[in-house]
Amino acid sequence: MADVLGSFEQAVLIAVMRLQGEAYGRAILKEVQSRLDRDVAPGAVHATLNRLERKKLLASRLGAGTPVRAGRARRYYRLLPAGVRALNDARQAADNIWRGLTWPLVKTRSLA
Amino acid sequence: MTLDCPAALPPRWAEWLLRTLLSAEDRDCISGDLLEEYRQAIVPALGRGADAWYIRQVARYVMWKTWIWAALVGGILITRYLFDTLAPVHYTPGVVAPRSAVMSYALIATFALGAAWRTWRSGDLRGGVLTAFVTAALGGALAAAGTIVCLAIWHDPATLQAAQDSGGLDEALWAVPLLLIPIGLITGTAGAIAGRAAHAIAAPLR
Repeated sequence: MADVLGSFEQAVLIAVMRLQGEAYGRAILKEVQSRLDRDVAPGAVHATLNRLERKKLLASRLGAGTPVRAGRARRYYRLLPAGVRALNDARQAADNIWRGLTWPLVKTRSLA
Repeated sequence: MTLDCPAALPPRWAEWLLRTLLSAEDRDCISGDLLEEYRQAIVPALGRGADAWYIRQVARYVMWKTWIWAALVGGILITRYLFDTLAPVHYTPGVVAPRSAVMSYALIATFALGAAWRTWRSGDLRGGVLTAFVTAALGGALAAAGTIVCLAIWHDPATLQAAQDSGGLDEALWAVPLLLIPIGLITGTAGAIAGRAAHAIAAPLR
């Protein structure tokens, strides 16, 4: 089994998968913000992308810039097979943990 | 109607700080992403508050790039304080005690390595010097905070006397943290020059 992914790492990897060919820094930031329904710092996304690329779960290439970013290049990310495996493992682990429980949990007398 | 502000500019000094600290391969992508977000989402939403947002984001990047070196500097100074107060030795004026020598060389190595690494990655000498400066400022603040925590835990008369004998609390709380800045700048500049030379030598191999 690959390294266990943190929930933020999963959110970033899934954003890259959903965005397919359009997965660059700011687009990933927007996708993660929308899925997590909270404000996310661009630095947190860049640091995570950097870490996932070092772990060889993602690969990147440079693309053209646009006027709104003063012509600066975009870095586009794509999921590597190891990234897909890591996501599957994370989902499997979560399913195993939750198996047998009904969600949402209800506080009962024995849990109190 | 478009809401974005394509001509809006974040504070120039903050953008310079960000681009100087980023590695060559990340410089355009990350500063471009931040500029795009600033112009298309933040300026329309926050107006004049957008600059404060941009500065906060740059501060996070600065922390991201320097925290490990600052934590090392803070850790070295706090360790020295703990040794001096919990396992005191007699200091002879004019004689450098082994623990003083170890601490000094560890600090010099941290500043030089941090600056060399940043210059090696960014190819920019200023990135290394800036890293050493931030490392010194943050490391000094961490050391002062750590000393206060240690004082809150160990403040019996013997420990306070030991702290006094090793230079006093004034030295631990503000003199050494302040002194770190020139030391960091000097040793960091030397490290940055070494990093720049290594970057230039390795460039044809990349």
